[in-house]
This record gives sequence, structure tokens and C-alpha cells, in this order.
Amino acid sequence: MTVLLKEKIGPSERIKKLIPRYLQLIKEGKRDLYYDGVLHGIYQWSPGSASFVPDTGEHAIPTEERVVVGDHDARVGVGYPFPGRELPSSKVGLKHDPENWAQDFEYFLENNPAEIYPNEYIVGEFHWRFDEARELKYPEEIDALGMKAMKAGSGGSSLTHTCPDLSIGLSLGWQGIVDKVIKYRKKYEKLGEKKQASYLRAAETTYRSVIRYIKKYANKAKSLANIETDKDARENYLKIAKVCENISTNPPSNFREAVQWIEFYQIVDRMIGHGNGYGRLDQLLKDFYIKDMNEGIITRQLARELIAEIYLKYGGSFFALAGRNEELQDNTNELSWVCLEAYDIIGEDNGVPIGVMWHSDIDKDFFRYACEVLYRHKAGIPTLVNYDVMRESEIYSGVKPEDAWNVSYSGCQWYCIPGKEYCDQDKNCIVIIQCFLQAFNKAVEKNIEKFEGLWNLYCQEVENALIALRDVKNAEYKWQPLVWPEIVGASQTHGCIEAGKDITDTGTGIYNYTSVNILGLANVVDSLFAIKKLVFEDKKITLQDLHKAVNENFAGFEEMRREILKVPKYGNDEDEVDNLAVKVANHFIDLLKSYKNSKGFHFRPSLFMFMGHALAGPILGATPDGRIKEESFAQGGNPMHGRSVNGITATMNSMAKLPLNKVIGGPLQFESDPSFFAEGTNPVETIEALITSFFEKGGVQVNLNIVSVEKLRRAQKDPLRYYNIVIRVTGYTAHFVNLDKKYQEDYIRRTRFKTAK
Amino acid sequence: MEKGIITNIERSSTVDGPGIRTVLFLKGCPLHCLWCQNPETIKLYPEILWNSKICIGCSKCIDTCVKGAIKLVKGKLITDRNLCMKCGECVKVCPSGARSLAGKIVTTDEILTVLLKDKIFYDKSGGGVTISGGEPTLQDEFLNELLLALKYNNVHTALDTSGFARWEVLKKILENVDLVLYDLKQMDKQKLYEYTGCNLDFVLQNLQNIDESGISIWIRTPVITGYTQDEEGIINISRFIAKLKNVKRYELLKYNILALQKYEWMDTDYILKKMHPPSEAVMRKLKKLAESNGAGEVFYR
Repeated sequence: MTVLLKEKIGPSERIKKLIPRYLQLIKEGKRDLYYDGVLHGIYQWSPGSASFVPDTGEHAIPTEERVVVGDHDARVGVGYPFPGRELPSSKVGLKHDPENWAQDFEYFLENNPAEIYPNEYIVGEFHWRFDEARELKYPEEIDALGMKAMKAGSGGSSLTHTCPDLSIGLSLGWQGIVDKVIKYRKKYEKLGEKKQASYLRAAETTYRSVIRYIKKYANKAKSLANIETDKDARENYLKIAKVCENISTNPPSNFREAVQWIEFYQIVDRMIGHGNGYGRLDQLLKDFYIKDMNEGIITRQLARELIAEIYLKYGGSFFALAGRNEELQDNTNELSWVCLEAYDIIGEDNGVPIGVMWHSDIDKDFFRYACEVLYRHKAGIPTLVNYDVMRESEIYSGVKPEDAWNVSYSGCQWYCIPGKEYCDQDKNCIVIIQCFLQAFNKAVEKNIEKFEGLWNLYCQEVENALIALRDVKNAEYKWQPLVWPEIVGASQTHGCIEAGKDITDTGTGIYNYTSVNILGLANVVDSLFAIKKLVFEDKKITLQDLHKAVNENFAGFEEMRREILKVPKYGNDEDEVDNLAVKVANHFIDLLKSYKNSKGFHFRPSLFMFMGHALAGPILGATPDGRIKEESFAQGGNPMHGRSVNGITATMNSMAKLPLNKVIGGPLQFESDPSFFAEGTNPVETIEALITSFFEKGGVQVNLNIVSVEKLRRAQKDPLRYYNIVIRVTGYTAHFVNLDKKYQEDYIRRTRFKTAK
Repeated sequence: MEKGIITNIERSSTVDGPGIRTVLFLKGCPLHCLWCQNPETIKLYPEILWNSKICIGCSKCIDTCVKGAIKLVKGKLITDRNLCMKCGECVKVCPSGARSLAGKIVTTDEILTVLLKDKIFYDKSGGGVTISGGEPTLQDEFLNELLLALKYNNVHTALDTSGFARWEVLKKILENVDLVLYDLKQMDKQKLYEYTGCNLDFVLQNLQNIDESGISIWIRTPVITGYTQDEEGIINISRFIAKLKNVKRYELLKYNILALQKYEWMDTDYILKKMHPPSEAVMRKLKKLAESNGAGEVFYR
């Protein structure tokens, strides 16, 4: 294997001592994340549940009802509820307004313990999401609209994968942010703008509570130092105390403080419950690193380890590396290497969703190193994304070029302009395969005789689902800043404090597109193509017989099902069917762009599915592409499981035909068997060549896993022994054995590329 | 334009030459290796395969065959291969995909279109097209036209051959070949003839000729328990390699049991059906032996 590093790197004894605790937390399921059930997985919304379901507290649900997403939570569960029983809202009454929310949040932070573990340089973790203390619930009017959308084939709850711009906080510090809030509050008070003034009072409460929360860590460190007998450990606690004390109010003055600042920011941000990314780490920390290196107060190894510590602490958070700068030149710098080395030294047992942003001028050595790391640890880390396509697609959405250059991978398949976007992305969905099935039913009723007839019905159904989704979203947008403002996030946004408005509100001056996951693309394409060929062209099957077969889950229709399976399928580089995929994609791209949300921004699709594809089978039933109801649906823009038969290059060619620069993300799942990288095959160079080729053709993201089916089967039987298999499931990495059983099965049944001979 | 008969095109291969490659399998082979892994590529004409595991027993093939060559015997479909005209009608009506035709007649242009689909992947990875078989040199005219077209398109070409072809034929083919994957199975004349029908002196001479011509060579030995899994044989091959100038790599290929099902699909008995592939330990040992006897860079899989 190529080794590009100039020195041999590895974890220090200190880091080695930290790792076991994090692995133990994963083994014990303490980082697991849950849905309230199958419906939420599919429609990204379910009656009464506006988010991932709380693990503890009175709003938690019974263990057997919930679905495990995997060890994807930023928080560390302790298994018992939030101990504070005196939330202010429990006395004054829960009101849907930011001040009421902020008072609860202040109380919540005050009652969160400061815990420091031996050998840590970077401190901080949390045990409860805020919605385990204060109920996150929308008014009932949303439930009615949600049910209507579900029936039409869509749904959504607004918790997002946006990306705050931490450079704001790193330069202002928390006191600077508070001062800014006070300045604008006074302005709005003077103007008599009560709503804005009230919001800024809530913001001030929130940010002051953050300051006290960080000071709590400083005090904890001091008291630990007082009782510590070991000299080095004592000095370390004093150092932690000094760092925390300083950054509780001031902007960080050096690299270590900056890393610690980011860590605390993530804690208070993630307590709110979404899946935010935190931007381009190698850009945020670059100046601190250069300054400290010049002053000789840091070494590259120490920098690596400090970053490795935030990776260990926050398996759920997302950072981006490389990409281009404002002049569109390569942004790779020494710190990009350090950030990747930080993962390299903690290795394969740890899931850290970092994204390396490739572009056509990227430092070749750095990109090869990313491929090398990916191969060495075989854990799907880093994910590789195409900066150029991401930037193009943001511009296609309407983002100004002067903003678009700063696009940052922000988790899963998402990307954002840090601090300038709140695009409601993550949990919205149009189940186009449901729309298709509804159209199929109507086509049979109406005795449709031509393909175009079926196509038009399908288009109408997708539009109906979109309209229903729009209505839910607009209702949620009205309530979101009142029910669940993201005040912490607003502090790192360009314009929110200035406008006296929450990041979730309308009229903040930031981009507010609604991004929507698409479920069942390949199944819609394969179904449409099979019908086009077998029903309308070859007339081998009638639409009525096919309908009957689908309703019977193909029981007694095996001959027909096989006939259908023989028809070409999307994902094999066969133009006839791939062109239909392009047509289906272009349809929903144009359709979504033609509808606007109440904030004045349009909808945009993402070729992605978190988990719904693995759950929806039995609920939606069999499909005319020969898929029986027990099978999963295809995931995101990927071909249907088991139907890529011409090799990974053919699948890449097929996927690259889709207009990926007009959607907001669409990862290729490249599931490979270890035999694909057999001895003598130059694995790193092969990975690099495959992915660069795919990206040059317009691909936007590759999640690569290298694991055999046999090993996964063994892991299912003996989870404790194989607890450490990390896979990049879709948008995130998880330990295989921590996944829901249905999801494990879905994962195992995906097409695995191997060497046949 | 030339026409050829092929059995398969395998894209995204990482093991048949350098980089990412498309492997084209030509049909027809003059040898009869006992362990043949691709028995469907031996005959020069199309053959019907039947996969009992996915057959749904609809009997449409029986009804369609004008020659009455297909019969149901004790739950098994037996095709009378003498009666069968290889017309492929039974394949067309088969809904399950259980019946298939090994052997498709294609023109150079048709095949070139497919081979060029992954051009960017070849270029980035230092890969290209590998022509395998069967013994591809049997279809030398088709092969020459195809290789020329590939070179015209700047595609790296590898020829996977047993070397069992007249030198004049081979020499002409090699004009447009960048790398030869050369099978060397046994260094015992008698055994080689017995197991494969191949003349050792003849293939060694061809190998030396190729080496003289300056083309890069990878030598490959299929390791077959009881036939070529033989320490002395590997040592002799390695010593022979040591004398050549242009061998870049020596690969030991472990016998694999995937071939077994292909024999079943062809209603043919496989002599080696009960044989076990060599163990990892054996492969490692052979690799070491090869290395210590001058074979250069050795890989096994």
C-alpha cells in the first residue's frame, strides 16, 4: 500500500486509554438513536412525533415499539431520565414562545452535570436531549395535515441538517455574541418591535446559560485538581480549567481552546436534537494551527490528538475537509491532513462521519491519502463527496456564487452554506413508489392503453404528494420558531440576531429551500420500464393481470415475475432504461422547483433515504418491477438490491447519467466484498481511480464499504465478538450490530461487488 | 467486419491484469484441461445451459423445441445435445432465465461499443481490456481486428492465453497486445499432456519467443489439488521464469469451486467435483517457494 505520510503516526498512550470507554458505550447501546416506529422511518413524520424519539423521560416510548437507527447519537445515554423536575414551564405552563423555551433550556443546562474523565484534554459530553425534558410537540392541526400527506405519499418533520458558521463564535466568543444580542435587542426595543425584542431576550438567556455551563466545567476541573495527587494529572486539570474559563466568555486564543470551543458548541447545539454538520474543520481551525505552530506551542501530533478527541466524543457529528476557497482554488492545507490523520490514529473501530470534498484541482496526494485511510480501516470513513457538483447544485437552487464557494458537506448526503442556509433538510420525504402504485391502480381502473397515460397519472400523483407536503411544511414553518426555536444555531448564522429572528423563522435573509428525500427511485423506474416493455410494447402481459399479480404479492404468478425480472434494470449502464431514470428524475426536479414554501423558497429533491427503504416493503406491498413485499426498496438513487449485474463501473455510469448537479445529494453505495481488492490489485489506486472517474462523470458522493456477507452473518449470530464492524449504512456510519434487525437484513442484501473468479 | 463468438463480458475486474478492466471471454479452446473453470467456453459453437436452481418447471421449453430434444426425466430437464440445433428458441420462451445460451455471435463494432464504456476507468487506473476465453487465439482474425480497434482507441490490451497457438498466429496477434497473461500449468511434459492435451515444448518455445519480443508478461499457474499443486512443478516454473527477461509478475490462482455449477448447467459430469481447493497455508508456501526460486514478484489468490 502507498504510504504518503512522511512520519509514522499512531495514537499516544493517552489516546489509547481513552478509546476503550467509547467502544464500551457503543457496545452498551448508549449512543443509539431511535424512531418511534416504522411509519416515521418511511414518511419522516408520524402522528405525535416531530423528531427522533426521546430515549428517556415521560415522552419516551416502549423499547419494543421503537426502531434503532444505530449508534448515531451525539449524546451518551445513561438510561435514566433527566433529573431536573422543576422546569420553569412546569410552573408557568408550557407556552409556545421562545422566551418560555429559553427559560427551560437555561434550567436544562444548569441541571446538566459537568463530567471530566481521566486523560482527557478536551472535555464535555451530555446525557439528555432537550426533548427528554421539555416536550417537543406541534399543535394538532399539523397531525391532520400530516395524515393527509401520508395518504398522498409524503411527509416531513422539520429538524435539520444545516451547518452553522462556527467562525462567527470562534471570533466573537460567547460574551461577544451576548453583546451583539444586547445591541440588537436595544435597537428593537427602541423601534417598539416587541416580537424581535422578545426573541433576543430569549437568545440572551440561552447564551448566558451556555457561558455558565462552560464555567461549570472550569470549576469541575479546578475541584478535580485540588484532590488529584498525580502531578501531571493535576496540571492537566488546571489546564482544562484555564481553557474552559477563558472560552466561557472570550474567543479562543489558541488551537486547543478553539477545539474545546467547538466541542462545547456541538454539545449545546446537539442537545436540541437535530443532525447539524459543523463545517469545514480544516478552514475553521487553520489560523489557530498556523499561529500555534509558528509560536511553537503545539505539535502536529498534539493537534491530531485534540481533533481525535472530538471525533471520539461525537460519533454523530459531521465535518468537511478540502474543497475550494473563495478564489475557487484548492483549499487543502496542512490541517486537512491533520484532521484526517486524527481519524487514522483512532482507527477502524470508531465511526466518524467526516467528508473529504474532492474537486478537479484537489491536492492529489491528499485525495489518495483519503482513499488510503478508507481502505486501511474499511469502515466507510471518510465519505468522499464531489465539491464541484455540490457547488453547482447550490447555484442551480439559486444560491449566489459569492456564497456557494463555501459549500460544506454537512452530514449524510447533505451540504450547506455554513451560516447562510437553513434548508429544512434531513427529514422530508416523497415516497414516489407509493405515488406510482396509486397511479398504477388508477391506470387499471381507467383501462389505460398507452405508456403516456400511465406516466401522466404518475406525474399527477407525485404532484398531489408534493402539494400535501407543502401544506404540512408551511404549517410547521408557522409553528417551528415558536415550538422549537434553534436559538443556539441562530448565534452562528449571518443575519438572525441582526434580524431579531430565529434561524427557523421566515425573513432572516438566509436561504430557506425545502429539501426532500425521494423513496423508491429505482423501483419506480424498473416498474415503469417493465410495464412499458412487457405490457405496452411486447404485449406479453396485460395491465390487469400484472395488477392482480402485484396485489397477490406475485403468489401464483412466479412465471410472470421472472419474466419481469428478465427485463433490463436501472443500474447496468443500459441507456434504454437509464434514460427512463433520467426522465423520472428530471420530472421531480422540475416539479419541486416549481413549488414554493411559505418562506418564498422552492422545494428540491435529494436522492437519498435514511432508512425508510428498508421498512416500507410490507406496508406498500409488492411492485410491478418484480419486487415482492418482503423485500426492501432501492436506496436513494442506487439501483435495486441485487440488480446491478454488470459491475461497479456500469453502476457508476448509470448513476452519473442522473442530473446530480440539480438535486441536493445522492450517494452511491459501493458495497464491496474483500475479494474485489484481492492481493496484487493495488486497492488504494483502484479506489482512487474508480471514484475520480465517477466524480469526473458527475457523481456526487461515494460511500464505500469493504466487508463480506459471511462476516456480517457471523456478526448477527455473535454480536459481542463482532461488535466492531463499522459500516457506512447510508448517510452515517454505525456499528453493524447496533442496527435494527430489519436494517441489518437490508444491508446484507444489497448488491455486493466482488471478483467472480 | 469480422465476427466472433463470445460467452461473456465481465466489467470492473481488478484481477486480470493491472487496473480496472473489462474482460472479454471468447469461445472455443483446443485444450481439455481436466479442471477447466469455464467449460462453457470450450466449444466453438453456442450451447444451451440449464440452471435447475432457478427453473420453475413451466415446461415451455419442452413444448417449444421443434426437435423434441428436451425431456423431463425424474424431475430433471435433459437436453439431447446431439438433437439440439442451438437455435435458442427454448431460451427465448424460458420465463425464469434458467435456460440460457452460452455463445453469442458479435461483430467487432458491437463489442467495441461495450468495451469503450469504461474507458475513463481504464485511463485513471492504468487498466484496460483483457481478452480471455477459451483460448482467444483460436479466433485470431476477429481478435486481430478487435485489438487493432482497441489500440486505435488508446486502450491497454492484455491477452490471457495458454500459448497453444502457432507462433505465426501468435506473433501477429501480439502486434497490438500490451501484456500477456500466460498460463503455465505444469513443467512435466507427460503430466501436462495427460491433463490438458498440451505440448510443453511448444508452449515454452512460444513463451520464450514472446519474452524475446519484449512484451510484458504475467505468468499464471492454476493451483489444482493433485494436479498442479506440486512443489516441484512450482519450483521448475519459477526457475524457468528466472531465465526470462520480461516477466513482471507470477500469479498462483487457487482452484475455485464455482466452476462446478457450470458443469451441471451443461449436463456434464465434472471429474474433479469432489476435489477441495488448496488451503491458504498451501498457497502461502507455494508463493514462498516461487519467490525463493527466482519467480520475482509473486501473488496468490
